[in-house]
Amino acid sequence: MAAPLEVIVSSDSSAQLWNISVFDLHSGSSLLSYRGGNSAARTLTVLSGEYLLSAQLGKNFINVWEIQRKDQLQQKIVCPGVVTCLTASHNGLFLATGVGEAVYLWEVCTGKLLSVLSRHYQDITCLKFTDDNSHFISGGKDNLALVWSLHSVIQLDISHTPEPRHVLSRHTLPITDLHCGLMGPQARVATSSLDQTVKVWELSSGELLLSVLFDVAVMSVTFDPCEYFIFCGGSDGNIFQVSLCSQTLGREKSFQSDNEGNQVFRGHRNLVTCLSVSLDGTLLLSGSHDETVRLWDVQSKQSIRCLTHKGPVTNAIIMAAPANMFLPDSRPAVPLPRFSRHLHASEGDGAEMGEVCIRLGLHAKDEEETFLQKADRLNSLMNAVTDKSVFGDGENTKVRVSELEEEVQTLKKVNKDLYDFSCQLLTKPT
Amino acid sequence: MKTKKRKRQDDFQKVKLKVGKKKPKADNATNTNFRTKGIHLTEQLKRDTSGPTTLRQLGINDLLSQLHHYNANVKHSALLGLRELLSINPSVLEQHLSRLLSEVAAVFTDKDRNVRVAATRVLRFIAQSVPAERVAPFFPLLSAHLSCAMTHIEAGIQEDAMNVLDVFLEHYPALLAARPAVLLTNFLELISHRQSSSGAKKAQDTKGRTWALSVTPDRAVTSQQWRLSVLLRLGRFLQAVVEERPMEKSGMSVSVEGVFGSSEEGRLTPLYLNWEDLIYSKVGFKVYEHSGAKPSPHSTFRLRPEVEPGAAVGEGLDSAETVQSFAVTLVPLLLEVWIEASATDCSWNSTEGAHLLTPDAMSVMFQVLSILQLLRKLTPQQEHQEALDAWFRKEYLGDFKQHFMKNFPYGALDTPKHKKKVDLKRNKQTAAIPSLTVEPLALNITLCQVMVSLSQKQGLGREVDGDWLTPLRTFVRDTLGSGVKLSYRQLHMLLGTVWKMVLTQRSKTVTEDLLAAVYVYYKQRNLPLQTRSLLLSFYSKLYQQEQGHTHIARSKVLSRWLASLPVQLSQLGHRNPVLSAQLIFSIQAAASRGNKDLLNSLQTHANSLYDPEEGVVALLPIESQQRMVQLLYFLPKMSQSLLANLSSCCTAGRFSASLTASLIRIIHLRSSLSGWSVGSQEAALQDVDYISFLFSTLTGFSSEKLDTLQEADDECALPSSPLSPLSLYLTPLEQFTHHWDVVEEVCHCLETLGSKSQCFDIFQTGICKYLTKLEVVPDSMAAGLLRAVSRLLDLSILPVEPVLGFLSHCCLSLLALLVSLQQAAPTETNHKREAVWTACVTALSTIPRLLRIVLQLLHVGDMNEEELPQLGQILSMLLQHTPLHNQLLANTALLQEIIQHLTRYSRGATREQWLTDLLYCYSVTVAHGSSAHRGNLCLRDMY
Repeated sequence: MAAPLEVIVSSDSSAQLWNISVFDLHSGSSLLSYRGGNSAARTLTVLSGEYLLSAQLGKNFINVWEIQRKDQLQQKIVCPGVVTCLTASHNGLFLATGVGEAVYLWEVCTGKLLSVLSRHYQDITCLKFTDDNSHFISGGKDNLALVWSLHSVIQLDISHTPEPRHVLSRHTLPITDLHCGLMGPQARVATSSLDQTVKVWELSSGELLLSVLFDVAVMSVTFDPCEYFIFCGGSDGNIFQVSLCSQTLGREKSFQSDNEGNQVFRGHRNLVTCLSVSLDGTLLLSGSHDETVRLWDVQSKQSIRCLTHKGPVTNAIIMAAPANMFLPDSRPAVPLPRFSRHLHASEGDGAEMGEVCIRLGLHAKDEEETFLQKADRLNSLMNAVTDKSVFGDGENTKVRVSELEEEVQTLKKVNKDLYDFSCQLLTKPT
Repeated sequence: MKTKKRKRQDDFQKVKLKVGKKKPKADNATNTNFRTKGIHLTEQLKRDTSGPTTLRQLGINDLLSQLHHYNANVKHSALLGLRELLSINPSVLEQHLSRLLSEVAAVFTDKDRNVRVAATRVLRFIAQSVPAERVAPFFPLLSAHLSCAMTHIEAGIQEDAMNVLDVFLEHYPALLAARPAVLLTNFLELISHRQSSSGAKKAQDTKGRTWALSVTPDRAVTSQQWRLSVLLRLGRFLQAVVEERPMEKSGMSVSVEGVFGSSEEGRLTPLYLNWEDLIYSKVGFKVYEHSGAKPSPHSTFRLRPEVEPGAAVGEGLDSAETVQSFAVTLVPLLLEVWIEASATDCSWNSTEGAHLLTPDAMSVMFQVLSILQLLRKLTPQQEHQEALDAWFRKEYLGDFKQHFMKNFPYGALDTPKHKKKVDLKRNKQTAAIPSLTVEPLALNITLCQVMVSLSQKQGLGREVDGDWLTPLRTFVRDTLGSGVKLSYRQLHMLLGTVWKMVLTQRSKTVTEDLLAAVYVYYKQRNLPLQTRSLLLSFYSKLYQQEQGHTHIARSKVLSRWLASLPVQLSQLGHRNPVLSAQLIFSIQAAASRGNKDLLNSLQTHANSLYDPEEGVVALLPIESQQRMVQLLYFLPKMSQSLLANLSSCCTAGRFSASLTASLIRIIHLRSSLSGWSVGSQEAALQDVDYISFLFSTLTGFSSEKLDTLQEADDECALPSSPLSPLSLYLTPLEQFTHHWDVVEEVCHCLETLGSKSQCFDIFQTGICKYLTKLEVVPDSMAAGLLRAVSRLLDLSILPVEPVLGFLSHCCLSLLALLVSLQQAAPTETNHKREAVWTACVTALSTIPRLLRIVLQLLHVGDMNEEELPQLGQILSMLLQHTPLHNQLLANTALLQEIIQHLTRYSRGATREQWLTDLLYCYSVTVAHGSSAHRGNLCLRDMY
């Protein structure tokens, strides 16, 4: 049997037999299951196709599996608080975690905690990276969604507190989900909220483009890959489809007399908490608190398959199957380091301190600062370092001063000798 | 020879005149004995009827040509005539606008004063009646003439050019502001002159200053007053430039409205859609083309620029550099003007009264300051503005400190009495200059704003501004705290100052000090609405700035303000919805940030805010209601009394159905049973309270109301009868519909609670305890209960007997009601009938036992004649309903008995239609059933 291209990865909150299960997208057969613990909502993520991560429900650690070893936990990453959301950048270099009101950002290759962003006032509900990993967006219960540019967040400069690039503040109740479209920094972002609206924003400017008001609170939102449609999961179990281009809407109208009900997927009986669209945009996956995961045909809006779970579904994702998933002998290319829990946890091991070097992608670099300014700043930093090492503390300066004084003494002496010598020469009677 | 002689004789023949003889007529005499008559060329002498004329019969062409006359009086009278003509016939203006403007503008520079004045009057008249967009094509010409007049060598012409400028500023500020560069230079030249090149060398020592104030002794007014009038115009002009800038809105709102201005619109206009509209495709939209933004029809693009490029200063004044280069020349001049003014002031002033100014000096200073302020605002972008501020600080802080701050809180000097005469004389002289009095308060506030804009963020390695800011701070504090009447504009400026100081000073004491002063002002009664909302938005913007400013976040005044918001909201009531909306917005912002003070205060006042009768939530318009409902989400704890209030809010009908639904959903989300929780947020209400909330909302009537219903012998309530065992209280249609919607929502919430059986258990206990003893039941409640029971019930659970009894009573009464409704009003109550019918039928089909009990209740013997047909109808309706067939077949014996009774009792009358129908239905149903159930009874027996 050929390995499937796309798989459904899902988890529920009861997790009696297994934590995370993997299904084939087209046949619906169960392929794998990962054991140990259970996963909190919006915390399931795959790290560079090699590791599977999910936060433990109600506890303060993250479970990590190697993706081919389904029955054994590889590691538990202990976090400073209960993890509310978790996501890994698409290139697998960074791991962003919402812990309470703060976003913790780790560098995966070293395990260093790069920064803690506490701009939210209440718990963070969702985190997403853009597809080029240049930005990430966090949405919280304080009605705000913040757009962060990754490079400004991970600066070494400690005195500089990172500021979000945009603050999206038009929602009036907590944000429940957000989805970031394609096209990197020019993407559109959709946010859903308990205030019964779904809003579409322009990431580059932070402007609101569109706001759709529903009858019920919206618990989850996603685009299809072409961004023709928004799918919104309501709190009454209906999934609404909003077309973003009216032309198709108009054409549909001319052929089909009754449009009503055409844009609603009916079947769930409780909150629809997760939505995901397959890569070709034909299948929609939805997970709900009525303990089912349903697969829908987008065109006909029928439920194709219903995968029952044992508890409220916390995560349901369609993803391209990672290569290692079905090769039991494979190994992750890079071992996962220990993740540090403190921002500057380097009092003990100073050797590790200097190792970090962050290189940004060519186009992900900050454009606001010219190279000259950067050079200036680096220069001043370097100078500061040398200044510190040379003139830094009192004892060093004293030694240095005495050295210099000695040198002055010797120079004076040499000068005097020279003077005497020439005097002798000049005054010597010839 | 002889011929010659003769010829000579012929030529000079002597005429002999004799006395008494008539003198012969000369050959060349003119014959004068003809008579003349006038020739009337009628065509030629006709008046100029091609157009209207003045009283002196002069048409527009004559008048315009007279403007070229060498005589000043002719020109003057022509201008007067023009004015007269235009006021009588406005249509002339439309036809001849181009010629009129060019001719009138040409006499701006006329040598005679009267002509210029008259020309200005005509211009003013034209400007009043022609809109700016129609003048736009002629404006280059007009402004060229204006420049010509402003730079004219004669002082009188310059002075009158100011009046022309006034007209333009009043009527066409946008046009004037479109090309500011030339005019700015003109302004400079009016009060100063460029120093000659030889002088320039010397001037390089003094900051490369090449312009110096000029003094023209032969002017009619003092140079001081002349400068004042020029500065006044310059100020107005810059104001026009700032206001009319065709920049994006965001930049402008910042510069005009101040940092805390209320509008915060983006470049794009977002699109707000409704799901209902979308689903019926009432609206179409494309996100990916223009992103919902509309293209602007007023393009400013021109193929050929109106003015050739390469003008001295860059065209627009929108970059920091151009403003700087202008400011470099202007600011020293302004300083000089002020120094001279203050020097003349001080000359007859004692030293201890140095802060007292004469009205003249005061208005000079006011103009200087407002021009400085406008210079700051000239750059539209925020970052440019900051750069400009920094530049000003670098260049001029010292000068400003020395000249302006020395005697800072300025006061007005009481003009001594004996000066009055002189003043009168002077006033007569300077009638042309509009005299405006400047209050010392306005002056001081403007000074504050100018100076504070120069202050810098306190940071490491920067000089401290404290020393010179202190008097400013004291002034601001005293002004706000002392309860002086301030105009809206003054308050706006003061708040701007406070804002800037708080953000730049970053010290806790300063912040507390200033905010406390603002709070004192805020707490005054009888503030006008505009002022009140300005103060509110000031505080709420300040609160939103708190991130990263610990001194603001920890400010006690701010938290006191936040805590007082709910009280204010409840006190305000419904008197001012706009202000209430603003208050709610602030509360929501703070609540979403989890501000402890506010949440505590909100919780204490929640009961009064959400009171169903006189609470704010019931009185405000729908948008505010929605916000209020959303606020509930943030309440840390919902008490039982609050829930009771909310429940009666839901049922009282003050809310729309959709709002009620969202209220119930929000409460659902905040209960521990919702299942949606991220992070550690404890439930706001206990499960018991939640369920009792749902139950009382489902019931739709409070216990007191039900009690009164029991006692009152209303005509609204249908009396009980054997057919309807309960007496039904007929609710109005609207209330019924509302209640029905609420029931649907509550049922949905109850369904998602988890275990259905437990949920139903609780539910039926509730019914048992509170409802079974009722005699009079509202019909909406009965229908709602049936609906809820059928939605909640599993087949596995059997309801207890008393509940079943009550429900069966409800069901039967409702069916009876249905039949009577059907007869009465067919169309209006369609929805109601349908709802009642579905409620009954689904209940009957989900609970087989209920059907049995209902059938048992039908004692045909007790009924009177009128009720029999109704019963028959009910039965036939039930029989026609296919989903009920199986259940009915199970109860065939009962049915048969009833029908037999019916036929017996109605035997007396003729066989009626309803009975035939019933028997037919029965036979069909039973015959249909008999294929399945063999050996059923045959109909023959009955007859």
